[in-house]
Amino acid sequence: MAVAATLSQRRRVKRKAPRGFLRRVFKRQKPHLHLGTRCDLLVHLNCLLFIRRLAEESRTDACKNKCGIIKDQHVLAAAKVMLKKSRG
Amino acid sequence: MADSDLSDNEPTTRTLLRHVLDTEAPRTPRRRQSTRAGVQRAQPESPFSMRLRSQTKTTPRRQSHRARSIGRLAPHIQTKGQLKEQTPRTLLENILLTAPESSMVMPESVVKPVPAPQMVQLSSRESSPGSPDLQLPELNPPTAMAPSLLTSGKRKKRLRLSEFQQGMDQGLPLSQEPVTEPPANTGASSLTSSLNLTFATPLLPQSVQRPGLSRRPPPRRAVDVDIFLQDLQDTSVATALPGDRTPVATLPTDTVLEDTQPFSQPLIGRSPSVHHSLPHPSLSAERTVSRRTRSSGPGLQNNSPEKPAQLLAGKAEKVDALAMGFPNTSNGTSAEDELKPLLDRDGEEVEEIMEESMSLDEVKEAAGAQASARAEEPEAHMEVTEAEGAWGAIEAKEPERSSRDKDAEGRTARPELASSAPDIPQARQLEFLEPAPSTSTAGLSAEPLSARLPTRVRTAGPRLRQDPYKMGLSHYAKLFSFYAKMPMEKKALEMVEKCLDKYFQRLCDDLDVFAAHAGRKTVRLEDLELLMRRQGLVTDRVSLHVLVEQHLPLEYRQLLIPCAFSGNTVFPAQ
Repeated sequence: MAVAATLSQRRRVKRKAPRGFLRRVFKRQKPHLHLGTRCDLLVHLNCLLFIRRLAEESRTDACKNKCGIIKDQHVLAAAKVMLKKSRG
Repeated sequence: MADSDLSDNEPTTRTLLRHVLDTEAPRTPRRRQSTRAGVQRAQPESPFSMRLRSQTKTTPRRQSHRARSIGRLAPHIQTKGQLKEQTPRTLLENILLTAPESSMVMPESVVKPVPAPQMVQLSSRESSPGSPDLQLPELNPPTAMAPSLLTSGKRKKRLRLSEFQQGMDQGLPLSQEPVTEPPANTGASSLTSSLNLTFATPLLPQSVQRPGLSRRPPPRRAVDVDIFLQDLQDTSVATALPGDRTPVATLPTDTVLEDTQPFSQPLIGRSPSVHHSLPHPSLSAERTVSRRTRSSGPGLQNNSPEKPAQLLAGKAEKVDALAMGFPNTSNGTSAEDELKPLLDRDGEEVEEIMEESMSLDEVKEAAGAQASARAEEPEAHMEVTEAEGAWGAIEAKEPERSSRDKDAEGRTARPELASSAPDIPQARQLEFLEPAPSTSTAGLSAEPLSARLPTRVRTAGPRLRQDPYKMGLSHYAKLFSFYAKMPMEKKALEMVEKCLDKYFQRLCDDLDVFAAHAGRKTVRLEDLELLMRRQGLVTDRVSLHVLVEQHLPLEYRQLLIPCAFSGNTVFPAQ
């Protein structure tokens, strides 16, 4: 298949998804459940988007406090907001 | 036909082989019978052939050949006449006349079937008892078969030739008797089998030592104990000078030039032979015992803290141990100057390694696990060579040392060892290892090594479930710092990891609920899409595919988004 050919040609994937890690985490949390074939990729996408939003939020928090460095209280405040938002 | 064979006065391979074939006891021709022409099969079995078949089949191909041919000969004596015209025998005769004698590797298909029927006829002659002139013609088929059977090099051919000669001399009186006598056959067959065995054994060690290349063993010179010990002292003194590599470097080059080995371990290779010849009565008994165990490790470590003088003694001890622990090697002559440069060359590396080992004695246990792991690696290599156990113990010490510092020198030493292990006897490696840990002087790179050591200790610790989990979380934490585009504190990163942990838990719960709602036990892509929709990431404007395209690499995009390919196919299949 063309897909397989392209995959083999370029072995190195930039910013690879830790598929094994994600599968292991899911299995630990929900041992009675199975994760689909490509679901861990979407989980990775979900995590990326979550972290992106978290970073944006903590950056705005740090800028609000006129801090040049992101501190853990900024992150904590941002996380509270984000976890509320991404309740699902 | 017979005349041409008779004219061969000198014992060529062909003649000898023929003779062997004739004298060789015919074995069970069962295997070959199926391949033979049907004409000969039709012959009624004689008691002789039956006896042949009852004999064991575990004989070299040559024997089976002869057995088959000879076995078939007895009942097929009458077929000899009809086989005269344009027979394999005549063909073989022509081959013997025309083909060069030195063609060791002859196509079996050509030679095997040809000599077989010829053997049949020759053995038919042989069956007529006691005619000495028949012995010579019988020699021809063996010699004809020899090229095909002896598929080894010319050296082996000559070996076998001489062996054959001896064997033939012994087998000749046996061949005089009628072929139907099993004892004669067994005697000849056993003779040839023993001959075959003798051929195998001397070649094996050579190939084992150097599987990649087949070269003659390096010439070994006689060793002088006094000079060797003096060299050890000089080496330790020279290595005692910090950062002084020049005097050491000059010495190895001499020996390197001497021996044209593919790898740079000729010094190592020769040194064990040197040790082997060194008679050191004091420590021999202890070393032989301690070698097997790792007790020599502590013994070496005890030596290490001492000064070069002590190291010299330790080196001498090790050398002696090496000499004792190398029982199989019969190389008594080896240049001691080979040993000296080897020691000098290793001296620098050994120094550094020793430095660190001395300074880091307390963290020995932590590195012990790694050391054992390291010891296993070189030991695995060493198993290939002969003197395995003795060297393994001493090599274990070296990994102990090198594991501590994880020095580049240590690494280079070990890769060298590993590469040389299959090629060179362990004694050499052992010798290489012995001087390495023995020298203890001002280390050149002791500081960086000690700095590196704590990190190694950490990694050598026990691995918990937390570790890979933390690693995965830290992977995302790094992405956080990238997305933030601002400097961050370490505590902030830890906070990010905590948040991520909570987020994962929530994610799994949500997916569980969605899958249960759909009546499934497997989480599918639809569940994920629903989750993202509820989170507000996927809207009517922004679809999941858009997000995938924006944030995931191409390879994952190809996996997730169905795309049409040639041949009216869609991947991934929906």
